[in-house]
Amino acid sequence: MAYRIGADVGGTFTDIVLSRDDGSRFLIGKVLTTPDRPDDAIIAGIRDVMERSGVQPSEIAHVIHGTTLFTNALIERKGARTALITTKGFRDAIEIGREHRYDMYDLFMKRPEPLAPRYHRFEVDERILADGSVRKALDEDEVREVAKTLKAEGVEAVAVSLIHSYVNDAHEKAIHKILQEVAPEIVVSISSDLVPEIREFDRTSTTLANVYVKGIAEQYLARLKDRLSSELGLSGELFIMQSNGGVCEADEASRYPILCVESGPAAGALAAAHYGALLGHNDILSFDMGGTTAKASVIVDGKPLITNEFEVDRQYQFKKGSGLPVKVPVIEMIEIGTGGGSIAKVDAMKRLQVGPESAGSVPGPVAYNRGGTNPTITDADLILGYLDPEFFLGGEMQLDVETAKSILTREVGAPLGLELLGAAWGVHQMANENMASAARIHAIERGKDVRRFPLFAFGGAGPVHAFGVARILRSPRVIYPLGAGVMSAAGFMTAPLALQFVRSNPSRLDSLDWNSVNALLSEMEDQGRAGLEKSLHGDAITFERFADMRYVKQGYEVRASIAGGILDQSNVTGIKEAFEAAYSELYGHTMNADIEVVSWRVIARGPKPRFDLPELESGTGTSAQKGERHIYLPDRNGLHAVPVYDRYKLDSGTRLSGPAIIEERESTVVINGEADISVDRYNNLIADLKTS
Amino acid sequence: MAIDPITFDILWNRLIATVNEQAAALIRSSFTSIVREAGDLSAGVFDRQGRMVAQAVTGTPGHINSMATGMTHFLAKFPVETVKPGDVYVTNDPWMTASQLNDITITTPVFKNGKLVAFFANCCHALDIGGRGLSADSRSVFEEGLQIPIMKLQDEGRPVDALFELLAANVRTPDEVLGDIHSQIVGNEIGAKQLLSFLDEFGLDDIEDLSEEIINRSEKAMRERIAALPDGNYHYELRIDGFGEAVDLKCNVAINGDSIAVTFDAPPAVSRGINVTLNYTRAYTTYGIKCAISPDVPNNEGSFRPVDVNAREGSLLNAQFPAAVAGRHLVGHFLPSTIMGALSDIVPDRVMAPGFDGLWDTHVSGVERGTGKHFSYTWFSSGGTGALNGQDGLSATAYPSGIAGVPCEVIETVAPIVVRRRELRPDSGGAGTYRGGLGQTMEIEVLTDEPYLFSGLYERTENPAPGLKGGHAAAPGDLVTTPDIGLKPKLSELIPAETIVTLEIPGGGGYGDPKDRDPEKVKSDLKNEYISEDAARTLYGL
Repeated sequence: MAYRIGADVGGTFTDIVLSRDDGSRFLIGKVLTTPDRPDDAIIAGIRDVMERSGVQPSEIAHVIHGTTLFTNALIERKGARTALITTKGFRDAIEIGREHRYDMYDLFMKRPEPLAPRYHRFEVDERILADGSVRKALDEDEVREVAKTLKAEGVEAVAVSLIHSYVNDAHEKAIHKILQEVAPEIVVSISSDLVPEIREFDRTSTTLANVYVKGIAEQYLARLKDRLSSELGLSGELFIMQSNGGVCEADEASRYPILCVESGPAAGALAAAHYGALLGHNDILSFDMGGTTAKASVIVDGKPLITNEFEVDRQYQFKKGSGLPVKVPVIEMIEIGTGGGSIAKVDAMKRLQVGPESAGSVPGPVAYNRGGTNPTITDADLILGYLDPEFFLGGEMQLDVETAKSILTREVGAPLGLELLGAAWGVHQMANENMASAARIHAIERGKDVRRFPLFAFGGAGPVHAFGVARILRSPRVIYPLGAGVMSAAGFMTAPLALQFVRSNPSRLDSLDWNSVNALLSEMEDQGRAGLEKSLHGDAITFERFADMRYVKQGYEVRASIAGGILDQSNVTGIKEAFEAAYSELYGHTMNADIEVVSWRVIARGPKPRFDLPELESGTGTSAQKGERHIYLPDRNGLHAVPVYDRYKLDSGTRLSGPAIIEERESTVVINGEADISVDRYNNLIADLKTS
Repeated sequence: MAIDPITFDILWNRLIATVNEQAAALIRSSFTSIVREAGDLSAGVFDRQGRMVAQAVTGTPGHINSMATGMTHFLAKFPVETVKPGDVYVTNDPWMTASQLNDITITTPVFKNGKLVAFFANCCHALDIGGRGLSADSRSVFEEGLQIPIMKLQDEGRPVDALFELLAANVRTPDEVLGDIHSQIVGNEIGAKQLLSFLDEFGLDDIEDLSEEIINRSEKAMRERIAALPDGNYHYELRIDGFGEAVDLKCNVAINGDSIAVTFDAPPAVSRGINVTLNYTRAYTTYGIKCAISPDVPNNEGSFRPVDVNAREGSLLNAQFPAAVAGRHLVGHFLPSTIMGALSDIVPDRVMAPGFDGLWDTHVSGVERGTGKHFSYTWFSSGGTGALNGQDGLSATAYPSGIAGVPCEVIETVAPIVVRRRELRPDSGGAGTYRGGLGQTMEIEVLTDEPYLFSGLYERTENPAPGLKGGHAAAPGDLVTTPDIGLKPKLSELIPAETIVTLEIPGGGGYGDPKDRDPEKVKSDLKNEYISEDAARTLYGL
C-alpha cells in the first residue's frame, strides 16, 4: 500500500495531509504559508509529516498540490509584462468588454484594467468570418515585424486571440509558430487552444489571464518538482489540483495555469462529495465558511457541478460582471462575503447589514484586541457563548468579551433598539440567513431543491454556523468532518486525473454532419488518452462526453451528457431527450422548437483514487464532557447551560443530544437547538435536526 | 409592524432574492441577444395594491421605474376582485409603461390559498413589433407597430391564442418575439413559485405588512437625504441634437424641505419619434436623483414618493397620444445628466459630467447573400461616460442604462454582418482634471446583394457632451458612409448593398480644468493613445 501527500497552500496556512491508500494512516500537518516562496512551506510541512510518520520517500507514490499563487498574481497584478496580438480593428475588444454597468446606481463604478495595456496590444491584418472562411489571409511578414517589436519592448508573455478563431484556428497557430521562431523566449498562449469558444471578449480575457501567470507557473512548478526530489527524495509524479475537480500533471498546469485558479475551494467541494458518498449521501451541500467568505456548492449524484463562468479580480468583491471573465471549467459554487471577520452595521434604512466588508485578520474582530472597532460575526458568536474566550484556536488566543459587548451594543444594539443578546443573535442569524439565501439561489439555479440536502460543514467558522443554516434551509442533517481546517488538502486525495476538451461547432441537431462530429469527438478523446497515458494504463481511462445545446436562437447553452462510440442519426432522439431533461430541470418546461448543438465536450478521466478514512474504535464517549457553558438558545430566547464536549475524546458510536457544544482545536461545533448527535466510525460528527 | 427588526430585514432580503430569480430565469431562457446579452429588461414584485416593493438588479431605469408606475394601469383595467389564478396580462402601451411599443410588459398575479397576494411583472424589449421597424422617423404611434392595449395573454391558465396569432402575424421575427414572451411568462412563474415557498416558510398570508414597511422606510430614508440638501431652486440646461433641430432641455430642481419638485421646460412635441411620455420622463428623473443623492436607498414606490416631476402637457417630455415615441430614449436618456447638472451646484462631488448618454441603437434588416433569407438585427452600443470629481469617465460603458453591447462574433454569427473594426476613439473624451470616457468606433458591412434598411437612432452627432466645473466638452459622434451617401441618424433608409457604415460614438465630458490634470496621467493617456500628442500639448500643457 502506497502513501500519498496532499499540500494545500492557503492565505495563512499551508496544510499537509499524508494518507495511506487503505485508510490505515492519516496524518495532518499545518505550517505558516511563505507567500514569497510558497515551496518553502511545502517542503517544511512535508518533511514534518514524514518525520512524524516515519514514512520513507520511496513509499510515497505522489504529491498532489493546490495553490492560490496564480490567482494572487492576477489580483495583485504581479504577472508578466504581457501583450496581445489580435485581429486588425479589435485591439480594444478587451477594454470595451461588455459595455455594461454591473451597478446601476454607483456613479463611481470602476472596471478592471485589462492585463495588457493598450500600448501592448498589437493588430495583424487578417480576418476569418463566422463560418470559418478566410476573408483576409495572414501576412506572415507582418507577424514577424510584430514579433520583433515585442522583443524590442521587452514583452515577456503574449496572448494570441483572433476573431472567430474558435471555428478556424489556422491563423493563431501560424502566429504561434512564427513567435516561437522569432522570439522563443516569449511565453505564448493561443485562444483556440485554451478556450475555443465564441465571444471574443471572454476568450481573449481568458487567454490573457493564462499567459499572464504562465511564466510564474512554469518556474514555480519546475522549482517545486526539483526540490521535492532533491531535498526530500520524492521522485514520484507531482499532480496539480485543477478548478474542475480533477488533477493534472505539473507540465499541463504549467501550460494552462488558469485551469488551476480555484483549486482550493474546488477541493473542498470534492471532499464533501467523497465524505457524503462514504455516508450514503450522494446529494449534499458543501458549506465552507472561513474568515472573510462563505462558499456553498451543490453536490448531485456524488459529483460537484461544473460551470464555465468565472471571474477573477472583481472590483466589487462579489458582484457578477465586475471582474475579468475567465472561461474555464470550475466547480460551481457561490461565494459571498460572510465570514467570521465580516462587519455588522446598521445602514441608513435602519437595516442590519452583515458583510461583505471584513475586518480581516488585522485588525480583525473587536475581541482580538488588535485595534478592531467594528463588530464582526466572530464578536457576536462570542457574546452568544458559541465561542469560548479561553479556548480560541485551542487556547492560543485570548478573546476580549467585554470590549466586544460594548462595541456591538453601540454599533448594532442601540441603533436598532435591541438588547445586547438580541443584537448579537441578530448578527448571527442575519449571517446564517445570507448564507442560506445564497445557497438556495445557487441550488435553484441548478434546478435543485436544497431541502433534501444534508450540509457538509467545514472551514474555521463553518461548524459554528452550519446548524443554524441547516435550520433555515430545512436540511435534515449536518455532517461535521474531523479536521474542518484541512478539507481542501483532503479533497486533493479524492481527485482523479482529468483533462477536458471542448470544440465549438454550431449546428442544428436534426442536420448534423455526423462524420465531422465523430471526428471531433475522437480527436478530443485521442488527445485525452495521449495526455493521461503517461501516468495511467490506457484501459484505466474513461471518457465522458457532453453536448452544449440550446433551442435555435437562444444564447445560453444547457449541457447534457451523451453516448460514447460512433454516433449517427439514430442517436438524435437520445441526445434530444438528454437536452430536454436538462433544460426542463433548469426552467421547468421544454419547448417545441428546433435544437442546436453549440459545443462538444470530452472529459478524459483516470479512476477515482482510493481514499479511505481511518476508522475508530467504538466506545462510550462519556468521559468526553469538559464541562458546561451558557449559550444562546433561540428556541428558548436566552442563555442556557449546555454540555461542552472534547471532540478528540468522542468515540465512534457515541450518541449525544443537542443543544451541545463540541470543541476541537480549529473550530467549534455549535448545536443550539434540538438534535440527535452521533459519531460515526470515521469520526464524523452527525447532527440530525429535529423538525419543529 | 409586529415582527422584530431582524426578521423584517430577513424578509426583505428574501423578497429581493425572489425577483433576482425571476430575472435570471428570464435572461437564461431568452431567445434574443437583446435580452440575454444586453440585459434589456426589468423584473419586479408588486403588492396587492400594485406598489413596487422590490426590483431585480438588472435592466434600465426606463424599464424598471416606468414599470413601477405603470402597474396602476393594469389594476385599473383588471381590478383585483376580477383577477384569477392563471391569468397573465400584457401591454406595450407607451403612455402606461415604457414609452415604446417594443417594450412589452407582462404581469402575473400570484395566489395563495385562492387569495391574491402579489404580482410579478417584467418588461422586455421585443426584437420587433411590426410597423416601420425601430426608427424615429414615424409621424405617429400608428406607424410604429402593433399596439397592445392592456389585455389578457393567458386567461385562467389558457393562452389567448388569438393574441398570439395576431402578434405572430404582425412582427417580422415571430419565433424570437413569441419565444421571449414565453420566457417572460416563465420568469414571472419562477418568481411566483419562490414567493409562495417564502410565504409558507414564514407563515405569512401575504406581503402587505412587509410591503408597507419597506415602502415607508425607503420613503423616510429618501426624505432624510433630500432634507440634508439646502433648500432652493437649481437650474441646468442641456443641449442635444433633437430631430433636425437642436433641443434645449431646461430643468428646475426645487428642493423644499424633504421633497423635490423637478420641472422641465422642453419645446413642444415633434412630428417624429423622439417624443417622451411622462411616465418615462418620471422614470429617468427619479433615477438621476437617486444616482446623485441616494444610490444606496432601495428603489421602490417609497423612494419615488418624495419626488414630483412636471413637464408641460404636449411638450417633448410629456407627449400626448398619438405622438410617435419609438426613439424616446434619444431624449429621455439625457434627463439624468440634466438633473445632475442642476445638482452640481450643491453636491459637486457626487455628480457626473454629461456623457454620451443616448444609447446608440442600430437596426439593420435586409436579405442575406446566398440564402436569400430575410434578416433583421438590432444591437446597442455605448460611448464614454462623463468624468467625476476624482475619477475619469468610463470608456464605452453604458449610462444611464445597464445595457450591454453584443460581442462582434455573436453579431456575425446571428446576422450577415461583418464588423470591420470596433475600437476606442482617441481624443473623444472631454479634457479635464478628470478626463471624460472615450467613445468607440464601429465599422459595419452587410453581406447582401440587395439594398438594405439601416436605421441608427443616434444622438450627440452635433451637440457634444459638455464638461462640468471647467472640464471640456467631449467629441461629438458621427455617422459616416463609404461611399458617402449622406446617411442621417434617426432615419430609416434603404441604402446600397455595398455601403460601409461607420459609427463614431461620442465620448463623455471632462470634469475640472485640464491644466490641473496629473501629468503622469496625461503621459499615460498619450502612451496608450487615448489622447493625441496635439491634445496633450494644447489642452493639458504637456
